[in-house]
Amino acid sequence: MMESGLENQIFQPSDVLAHATPDVLANHLPPDLLSKVLQASLAAGSMTPERVLETVTPELLARHLPHEVLWACIAAAAARAGVTNTVVS
Amino acid sequence: MNLKAFFVASLQTALDLAIATPDDILKHVTPDVLAEYLPKPLWARLFTACLGAPKVDAQLVVETIGVPNLCEHVPAQLIWACIADIGNRSLGKKVDDEPIVLRPMALTTPPPPPQPSGSRSKPLTAPPPDVIERPANLPFATSKLGPSIPAPVTTPAGTGTQSLADIVAELEAEGSARDERATTPPPSRVRTPTQQRFRQSQTNPGGVGRLAQQSNTRRPQAAIPSATPARTARRGETEVEEAEAETSAARGEDWRSSIAVEDEQLVDWQASEETVTTADDLETRKR
Repeated sequence: MMESGLENQIFQPSDVLAHATPDVLANHLPPDLLSKVLQASLAAGSMTPERVLETVTPELLARHLPHEVLWACIAAAAARAGVTNTVVS
Repeated sequence: MNLKAFFVASLQTALDLAIATPDDILKHVTPDVLAEYLPKPLWARLFTACLGAPKVDAQLVVETIGVPNLCEHVPAQLIWACIADIGNRSLGKKVDDEPIVLRPMALTTPPPPPQPSGSRSKPLTAPPPDVIERPANLPFATSKLGPSIPAPVTTPAGTGTQSLADIVAELEAEGSARDERATTPPPSRVRTPTQQRFRQSQTNPGGVGRLAQQSNTRRPQAAIPSATPARTARRGETEVEEAEAETSAARGEDWRSSIAVEDEQLVDWQASEETVTTADDLETRKR
């Protein structure tokens, strides 16, 4: 669902990182992934949501992050798209 | 010796005086090292700073984490490697371009010394405990015969067991103790029927069995009323009547003519559960 939502532009990488906050990432990603994210950012000179999701792919997000966080991201995108009456923050 | 304070002061001064750069620190304190030793809140702070900063570089990383936090969490060997590189470079000495790598503890552990060829290795499991041999026939004096029968006690001379008079004296003492317990009012009205029934019908505090007949220390008995009013048979009153009837029989009086007993007051001894219990109790007592 996360990969399809990104491919179909249901939500953007910034929307993902709005729910997968730095605190969530730091607490749930394994150390090797944290290192890769920082290495990629240092190499590129910046850390953007797109670059973070290039390293932490949707598959890795689904593997390590709590599913409630990912579902909140999906539900919020659905609310923005007007397909549900429930407003999810 | 406060090593961390020394590291903090040295690195911070070197950075402030432009002797060292943040890249010198990240040369050894790599992202892998940070990922392994930096606590999660600091990682969250670092992510937040990196996502909000237009440029992510070593200076941002070092300033976000802070030199005190780096010296607190990163192994001292790595911090010292940074300081050593800075010092050697300032003195014009050769600086190794490769960062040092901390080897796992398991690889640095020396192998165990070889065992002597003649000795056997120690087994992993503990040896079985020694077999405790019990004597085939236990001495009779040490074994307990039953729950209420004391073991035979040798006489002071050591030549035999207790005499019959000693046993009778012990039983008398036990009987008197039970009488005292029975006469003492219980804290509640609940009582043990077996205990009182056994004492009233069969036990004489003056002796046991044949000895009881020789004893003249029977308790005083109440006088038999000439005519007992017919009342509803209750448990306690029935037991009292039984004791009185036995007493009258011992005197040889014609109690049947003096006591009016209805059929409802009679107790079916064979069907009574308490009677069976009393018999079992007597059997246990005899054994």
